[in-house]
Amino acid sequence: MTEEQQMLRDAAERYLRDNYDFNTRRALVNAGHYMSQEHWQTMAEMGWMAMPFSEELGGLGFGMQECAIVAEQFGRHLVIEPVMDSVVVAGSLLTYEGATTPTAIVEQMATGEAVVIVANAEPNAAPSFVNTHSRLQAVEGGYRLVGEKVFAAGGGSATHFIVTARLGDQFAYVLVDGNAQGLVVNHYPTYDGRSGANLILDVLIPEDHLIASGETAILAFARARARVILMASAETLGAMEAALEATVEYTKQRVQFGQPLASFQALQHRMADMLIQVEMCRSLVEAACRAHDEGSEDEAKLILATKVKTSTAGRAITQEAIQLHGGIATTDEYIVGHYFKRVAALDSWIVSRDEALDKFIMVVDAA
Amino acid sequence: MTDYAQFRQEVREFLAKELTPDLVLAGELTTSVFSDFEAALKWHKILHRKGWVAPDWPEEFGGPGWDINQRYIFQEECKLANAPSIVMMAIQMLGPMLMHYGTEEQKAFYLPRILSGEDIWCQGYSEPGAGSDLASLKTTAERHGEEYVVNGTKIWTSMAHHSNKIFCLVRTNKEVKPQAGISFLLIDLDSPGITVDPIISLDGHVEQCQVFFDNVKVPVANLVGAENDGWSVAKFLLEFERGGHNFTIDIKKQLAKLRQQAKTVKARDGRPKLHDPVFRHRLAEAEIEAMALEQTELRIKGAINAGGNPGALSSLVKCVGTELGQRFNELSVDAVGQAVTPYFEDALNPRYEGKSPIPSYAITTMAEYINNRAATIYGGTAEIQRTIIAKQILKLG
Repeated sequence: MTEEQQMLRDAAERYLRDNYDFNTRRALVNAGHYMSQEHWQTMAEMGWMAMPFSEELGGLGFGMQECAIVAEQFGRHLVIEPVMDSVVVAGSLLTYEGATTPTAIVEQMATGEAVVIVANAEPNAAPSFVNTHSRLQAVEGGYRLVGEKVFAAGGGSATHFIVTARLGDQFAYVLVDGNAQGLVVNHYPTYDGRSGANLILDVLIPEDHLIASGETAILAFARARARVILMASAETLGAMEAALEATVEYTKQRVQFGQPLASFQALQHRMADMLIQVEMCRSLVEAACRAHDEGSEDEAKLILATKVKTSTAGRAITQEAIQLHGGIATTDEYIVGHYFKRVAALDSWIVSRDEALDKFIMVVDAA
Repeated sequence: MTDYAQFRQEVREFLAKELTPDLVLAGELTTSVFSDFEAALKWHKILHRKGWVAPDWPEEFGGPGWDINQRYIFQEECKLANAPSIVMMAIQMLGPMLMHYGTEEQKAFYLPRILSGEDIWCQGYSEPGAGSDLASLKTTAERHGEEYVVNGTKIWTSMAHHSNKIFCLVRTNKEVKPQAGISFLLIDLDSPGITVDPIISLDGHVEQCQVFFDNVKVPVANLVGAENDGWSVAKFLLEFERGGHNFTIDIKKQLAKLRQQAKTVKARDGRPKLHDPVFRHRLAEAEIEAMALEQTELRIKGAINAGGNPGALSSLVKCVGTELGQRFNELSVDAVGQAVTPYFEDALNPRYEGKSPIPSYAITTMAEYINNRAATIYGGTAEIQRTIIAKQILKLG
């Protein structure tokens, strides 16, 4: 890590450690809140929302390596605020070269005033152009958008949505104001303490809210998907490592049959295996972020490998953490089960592991 | 010679008649070992009226007098018809223990009430400090004349919040080695000094509880078996349970539902997820494990039918059955994608009639995935099972 990255990591770790304790988070979630306005405000002040935007747009000009550092801390502390969903993923779609974005929206995202959430999945299907049936029809002043979207992660906190649709026979995406007439937002809490939303749309899209279509839209989404993988993997890494640490601590203290669980060699070996996987994932996440930021030749391969590896390890490690804790980890009151739930949600976020593995094979064979 | 085809038909007819839509819905929305309590109790009473609520009990105590094949058929047909699960602690555990260790008075009083559902029992075994090492339990029962005075706490008492009675392992002697100082007590949950605290599970719902005992007075007549012989009473069940729970039936149900999910949900290329080559291979490997499990359970059934002892196989089956069930949970999670994310409390309530953000094929998926992590923890952890296999079968250590 560079010194700057180290400082970023330390600042994030310190803030969250001191202000984002599990019990407060739990109380917030159980009271029905999708996020804390106070935290959101502070996160904006810390500059986290400005990270991925260029300096011209009011951002810090950071790459995915830096965003991943913060995302990892989010995973460690089970942060519920949809920062990366908005600024990294939606932000990526709004700033892709060739995309036309209404003025001010990016600035608003960077200050936290706007929360932009991607709504691309449609019922009973993984999100893709093939599975997009929402339609844009040219009308006076812009377009009429009719369609249905499901499971927009972070959607309960959105001020705006990025919605994918067909424009003729082309893939396209538009910016939809959260207050748009004809937009029905059915938001809900999620198992991992955050929010989501299902949308029903029959809205008028002003001309300047058509962000991209055709080849630009396809490529922009490819980049956004890569960033979804990087952010999900980095956050999963943080959660995995925290789960392992909690497990090590617990097994040292928990005494059964006259000795701490940690004294049983079989369990020591399993925790060693967990550590091995954490480090393997860390290596891939760092390499994939670097490859993405530098546009290296092996970027696609690394990103797909990271998705597959982190998905498998994240699931295995958080399951192991519960198993090694026993009954206590099956309760809402104890933190370890929450890492498990968050990792499951991250794993389902837009990109599937099976699809990534299949794509990895194609990429490798084509090389 | 029993006509099993005819018996199966008889069971099907009973289920078709008695399993009303509300009960079927409760069965379908079951995401753990327990179904919605209201539905479970209703079903319990219907089964009791028919004389079928305790298939494993001997006829003399109210069982229907079925052989193992009939019991298997009944279990299978109930599962296929989505019957809710009844609250089973007393039917499966306490009843058989009383039959073997209870006094005539205890049997005459408690067994009919267990059968009728008039008494709902929860199990007071584990404590915060005594999980796998159950013998280290600390809840004490001090003898004072014709009463025991109980102090301590039990945890993971499933359904205590819906129960009126609890059967407990308590310490009656601290001087001897732990297993030799434990007694088996029957306690009324409305006794003064008892507090039941619900525990919110990871899925957001309540099933487990912690029960606190503060100078709770229990009549000596509520002792089952001899004082300090409680460990034998508890261990007896391990013998009785042989050939009991059948995992294959549940796994086949999981598989059928999973295939349906994978046909319904499209992968990115627009084709059903079932056609995703990676997914399909994973599914096939799991199906092969399921076949091995099914054949193993048939071997067990065969051994029991032949009057023999399935021995080792029962321990193995617990490991495989639970872990394979978890593997199918994962495949379901992967099949339905982001449909696992919404948390909608009413979605799992069979009496809720409104809309839900979750498509019908995925309503139980995430809750099942979460709750089934406990399958390798309760009733003897996966680790303890392996220690048993290593020590008793492989004679290691």
